[in-house]
Amino acid sequence: MSLVGFAKVQSTRNDSIRRAILDSLDLIQYEFAKEIHNVVIKPNLCYYWDYTTGQTTDPKFVAALIDVIRAQVLSDVNISVVESDASAMRCKYAFKILGYEKMAHRCKVDLVNLSEDEHERVEVAVGGQSFRFELPQTIKSADLRVNLPKIKYMNYTRISCALKNIYGCNPYPNKFKYHGKLDEVIVALNKVMNFHLCIVDGNIVSGSHPCRLGLVMASRDPVAVDVAAARIAGLKATPRHILLASKEGVGSTSFIPKGIAPEYFEKRYPKERAIDKIMKFAYKFTQAAGLDKRLGL
Amino acid sequence: MRLGLIGLGYIGKIHLRHCLNLESVELVAVSDLSKKALNFAKRMGAKKTLSKYQQLLEDPSIDAVIIALPTYLHASCAKSAAEIGKDILVEKPLARNVTEAREIISMARRNDSKVMVGYDMRFSPPFCALKEKIESGILGDVQIAYASNIGAGPFFHRAELGMPKPVPTWWFQKELTGGGALMDLGCHIINLFRWYFGGIASIRSYLGYRYNLDIEDQATCIARFISGPVAVINVGWFSQESQKKVELFGTVRHAIACRTAENRVLAAMKLLATRSTQYESTYLRELQYFVHCVKHDLPPSPSGNDALKDLEAISLAYKNQISLK
Repeated sequence: MSLVGFAKVQSTRNDSIRRAILDSLDLIQYEFAKEIHNVVIKPNLCYYWDYTTGQTTDPKFVAALIDVIRAQVLSDVNISVVESDASAMRCKYAFKILGYEKMAHRCKVDLVNLSEDEHERVEVAVGGQSFRFELPQTIKSADLRVNLPKIKYMNYTRISCALKNIYGCNPYPNKFKYHGKLDEVIVALNKVMNFHLCIVDGNIVSGSHPCRLGLVMASRDPVAVDVAAARIAGLKATPRHILLASKEGVGSTSFIPKGIAPEYFEKRYPKERAIDKIMKFAYKFTQAAGLDKRLGL
Repeated sequence: MRLGLIGLGYIGKIHLRHCLNLESVELVAVSDLSKKALNFAKRMGAKKTLSKYQQLLEDPSIDAVIIALPTYLHASCAKSAAEIGKDILVEKPLARNVTEAREIISMARRNDSKVMVGYDMRFSPPFCALKEKIESGILGDVQIAYASNIGAGPFFHRAELGMPKPVPTWWFQKELTGGGALMDLGCHIINLFRWYFGGIASIRSYLGYRYNLDIEDQATCIARFISGPVAVINVGWFSQESQKKVELFGTVRHAIACRTAENRVLAAMKLLATRSTQYESTYLRELQYFVHCVKHDLPPSPSGNDALKDLEAISLAYKNQISLK
């Protein structure tokens, strides 16, 4: 069983976010190793939606974590904040629009577009199927890889959190092509990228509508984080990609909650409404029937 | 009337649906660089699809063209169309700047082509009703006008379905757009207010850059009209919720017109049933009016000259920026 720490951000101030990150790490008894030289931080950047929508990691959250790492490891540790191009998003613009360029300049860290990074081919098996990906050099050479996901509903996997965020480490831009085997691909990428720590930016969450939840959740285990996230978001059954990840040894579906009770956040999370479910169903239906293309949506 | 449609992006597809549905129109050909878009047009019923708009313009059987291309292509395409005497409905803004707009107008004048600019708010019933109220005198003298045109701008593509489409990168380049939210959304309001109140005496702007781009994503303008009213105009690309709203404060009465985003379920059902949503129906009225003007040899409004004056006002607003430090 893995430890999952639940801490609360008391206000929107930067020092409050930093305090909550430290609390969540204390709860899981996490200590940064002193010999770390290269750190990779993977926020969740989604399209060009800024952090107020709850869809993307707040650059203030990333800056707070950078402060924590520099205070606890070495002040001159190399830190890279990474993301890759996606079907509907280009890092070149997302870093600028979402405030990451300003943050990187202020915190003196590198922003790396993994789609432009050097990489090597790796092969990994999931559920008897073999997958090939490009492993970016920046991720491969890092001593510490930190995953900073969001908790949100997603059409294909029902929930997006720690495991799904690593999907964005795949440098191949047209990720839409993986949607047919999304669960397997997510698990495969988690096996390849091997992140060490996950800290969820649940300060503002999207849910059915953006809401200030004030949650910071930390764990070494992405599967445990996703099980907790699914529970907070009100999902009754554990989504398939989480179960598959557990089966493949990425982590454990059982966890020991530490700090504030998860029920506190579960009560406050803006759950999916019936209308949202209908819209998702209608959208899936129009796609399956090819109506979206016929109507030019 | 025989029409050609150039450009099959978001607005181009709306025009396509209407051209195919309108009895008084025969859509002779469509053109776009994207094969996918042309295939879509074929599936919808377009008879002839071309990858180059020059081929479409060479067709002598086409009376008029709709230009729904990115802003930076408006001038070259509109000038080519005007040169061979086609009447033109071009999407707003007419061009990236005043110089390009003047070139289009001059070419159209030389070749006796009509130029109409696609300001859809001019065909939206609530905003047309305000014009009637002003002219009827029911409001008295309008002293203050307030407008907001707020939305997601170029970031809206399919975002409401949670499956955003890529934003064409020309949107992020000032040299291709001519400006940001003020150009994209402000031109609607400036044109509408000029329609209501006449010429602008002076205009100033405050520009915001939340998204750290070279182009503004929000603007607040204050304008004084020669006829008296003072207007405050707010435009922005920063919100996932869209709203177009105009408030007029007269010496006798006040009036409001507002257009918010349609209910998604109802809009989808209407689109399936009628191939046009409430939002899109303003484009239908716009097209019907353009066809009427061409058929009966009438000067269209908003014309190229109107749009030139809008661009002059926008250019002045960019020049007269207010600093709020």
